[in-house]
Amino acid sequence: MKSFSFGLLALLLGCIGLTACTSQPDAPESVRIRWATDPQTLDPLLATAPQAIEVINLLHGSLLVGDYQSQRYVPWLAQSLPVVSRRDSLTLLTYTLRPEATWDNGQPVVARDVAFTLKVLNCPGLPTEYMRAQYGFVLDIELDASNARRFTLVCQSASQDIIGSSGDYLILPEYSLDPQGTLRPVPLPLLRTDTLAAVQRYPALRALAHRYRTSPPNKLPGCGPYTLTAWAKNRYLRLQRKSKWWARNVRNAPRWLQANAPQLDFRIIPDDATALLALRRGSIDLYPMPTAREFNRLRHSADTANLFFRVADSYDMTVVGFNTQRPALQNALTRRALSMLFDIPGLVQATQQGLAYRSVSLINPHDKLAYNDSLPLPAFNPKAAAGLLQQAGWRRQPNGTWWQDGKQLALGVSYKAEDSGHEIIALQFQAAAKKLGILVKAQPRNSELLKKRLRKGEIDMYVRTMHGNPFSYNFKPILHSKGIGILNYTHFQNAEGDRLIDAISVEQNTMRKAKLLRRFQTLLQQESPLVVLYFARHRLIASRRLSPTVQATSIQPGYDALQLKPNSSSRR
Amino acid sequence: MRRLAWSEKISWQHGAAIGWLLLLVFAAIGSLFLPESSLTPDLRSTSVPPLTFQHWLGTDPLGQDVGTMLLYGARTTLLVSLPAAALATALGTTLGLIAGYYGNTRLRFPCAYWLAAVLLAGSLFLFRLPQAGIARVWYPLLLGGTALLLGKQLQRFSLFRRPLAFPVDQLVLAAVTLLAAIPRLLLVLAIAAAFEPTIPGLVLLLALTSWTQSARLTRAEVRRLLELPYLEAAHSIGLPAWRIIRHHLLPNAWRPIATTFPLSIAVFIALETTLSFLGIGLPPETPSWGKLLALSRLSPSSWWLLLFPGICLLATTLSLRKLLTLGKIKSTF
Repeated sequence: MKSFSFGLLALLLGCIGLTACTSQPDAPESVRIRWATDPQTLDPLLATAPQAIEVINLLHGSLLVGDYQSQRYVPWLAQSLPVVSRRDSLTLLTYTLRPEATWDNGQPVVARDVAFTLKVLNCPGLPTEYMRAQYGFVLDIELDASNARRFTLVCQSASQDIIGSSGDYLILPEYSLDPQGTLRPVPLPLLRTDTLAAVQRYPALRALAHRYRTSPPNKLPGCGPYTLTAWAKNRYLRLQRKSKWWARNVRNAPRWLQANAPQLDFRIIPDDATALLALRRGSIDLYPMPTAREFNRLRHSADTANLFFRVADSYDMTVVGFNTQRPALQNALTRRALSMLFDIPGLVQATQQGLAYRSVSLINPHDKLAYNDSLPLPAFNPKAAAGLLQQAGWRRQPNGTWWQDGKQLALGVSYKAEDSGHEIIALQFQAAAKKLGILVKAQPRNSELLKKRLRKGEIDMYVRTMHGNPFSYNFKPILHSKGIGILNYTHFQNAEGDRLIDAISVEQNTMRKAKLLRRFQTLLQQESPLVVLYFARHRLIASRRLSPTVQATSIQPGYDALQLKPNSSSRR
Repeated sequence: MRRLAWSEKISWQHGAAIGWLLLLVFAAIGSLFLPESSLTPDLRSTSVPPLTFQHWLGTDPLGQDVGTMLLYGARTTLLVSLPAAALATALGTTLGLIAGYYGNTRLRFPCAYWLAAVLLAGSLFLFRLPQAGIARVWYPLLLGGTALLLGKQLQRFSLFRRPLAFPVDQLVLAAVTLLAAIPRLLLVLAIAAAFEPTIPGLVLLLALTSWTQSARLTRAEVRRLLELPYLEAAHSIGLPAWRIIRHHLLPNAWRPIATTFPLSIAVFIALETTLSFLGIGLPPETPSWGKLLALSRLSPSSWWLLLFPGICLLATTLSLRKLLTLGKIKSTF
């Protein structure tokens, strides 16, 4: 009898334990999206992972936002696009915030929040180097004393790119990060020009930097449509639509202010095969960017009845970069020779199954005006590469290797270890280079380590994917000499290149800008600091549980999370 | 007559095992004569199924021919597992012999040398070793030479002539326990991830983390042998230690080690395959069976990426295990 009671107790405890361990069923209206990796951080200043940026954009809001359909900036927190006026040589951009826009605590989003954000973006002690380079054209902000929602940005120029970029950063809540308003007296021009003096005169800057670094970024309130409700690292991340989402009060709210899904559930499934299985089993609703092979295979399989397949030309380009500061790669002729060892049509077929398109440079061929179609596409030509190497001063030895000043031409190609597409590119280049007598080492690296080494310039060549957009052309962080140590991984320094990049960013006339962009593409092909192999097509597989209006978009993350909604007629 | 009886005992399974292993060796040698271009990715024929013209065993998602990859994989398997097993066995046997024979009391050094060793360790700790240049070589030599000379000079004083025992057995056992306490795969993964992947590096890593079993076996065998009368007699007539170890202990302790050698090769093959599957340990361009298995994750519908390397691995491991029983049969005659 005693053992029976013990047995029964153990059974009951086991049942309780199992019940507790069983995961709760998904909310019926949640949309489940597959992610391959965890976003790691949701800090708006630090985040670089596409997943993190996707979530941050759903939690926070900016003045303007890029609309993938019209390919223009459209007002988001701002009531309309800024009013442009001139003062001497300066451009003034006057914004008025939407009266409906509020923070989570019900307080309105006001001009002071924008001023606070700009000061944070220039605050010493915070990782804002990229932001400073990106938004350095905003010289000052002037608040309107008569209207708390109106302010004017003082900028260097009034090009369309600058007008768009002037509102393309997330607005941070002053009430949460600086409740005492200690940053209000700090003048933005001083912060921009003399950081040391600013810190000495305003110790509050140091305190804010410390406060920002120590406060968990996940708890930072935003004015976006969603709020973070759960985040289990490397498992899932859940966003819930705010019950009092302010844009509901906007009359005739545009598409980009509508959040359709009540809940967004991001499931982290690193393995592609497992993710496909989850999609087939109905455990996820959306699978963005499956491998091209599996996408094509599924598209022609029996599963088509249960799934949607969408494709859109994207601005994601796979590039090969050369560290122009390395002795072996300092000569542009050497870089051009090495560029000729990539069999791009073959790589497009092998890695993207044809779901990609080529370009002569960083400009998307869809931008007919700016794209320099008079330049030839990079060609696979080992014979011409050998000729260029000789012109660059390399001498071929009887054993087939290339030498210059007592040093052999031997390189390493680094790429993200988990990216099979990049590995194919590295191995194809290695095989072609080996035939030509160039020793190449393929070096797969952990993503963070790769970034660190790229920044420090410790890598000869790299393969990576860059995410562009159709809204503006700002090459400053990636190819300007001021971007070295930030995102200029090629360490490319060229006086004419710098001049062109500066001119492109401030040029107001569309035709003149296109001419500058065409000239810039010619320069890039001559100097070859990086080679664009192809632009990928965004691929998307969605279950029929989602509304058929789901579309692949040209910009990251390849779909519009705000537009996703469960199909009302479908049942799980 | 006796020879015939032994060969009669060898079954067809033994024959198949030996046949497969010979085939493996021929494949590894044959891969040396393949043209350099055979591993060049065929970008226009990726994940092609078997029985396709030019790719009879199909291709992987990188466009590499699976048949060629298997041949090169055989070479990689042998290049890694054989030296690693030999090195681990040699290291383990040496340490086991020393630990078993000398124990904790038999190996004695005068106090003078102990003091010199402590001073050497202290100077190494205080003055950092030069990181580059020729000084990196001569500086430790200089320190070592100085320590030896110092020890010799100190022996002049009677105080420093008193011998002190070196507990070699305890140290070896501690190292064995330490390595056995950490799961080997985890240890290998952690170390392999920190270094640039090369074949010699992987061999060294596998050997340095896998010598414990042969050390334990040898030590136990030596401890047993030391109790036997003929070894006591050898001691009593004053034979030098190296002679006892070389001529009396090693030949007798070697048998169990030799018997388990094929098994340890099989273990190293499995370990190398696991590491290649995880993308650690070998350079990415080095073909291996584990890498082929890993590529099947990129293309789940490509069954041939699982089947062919799987068969190779299974056949090799089973063949090596079968060799174990061959050793037993041989030892009964």
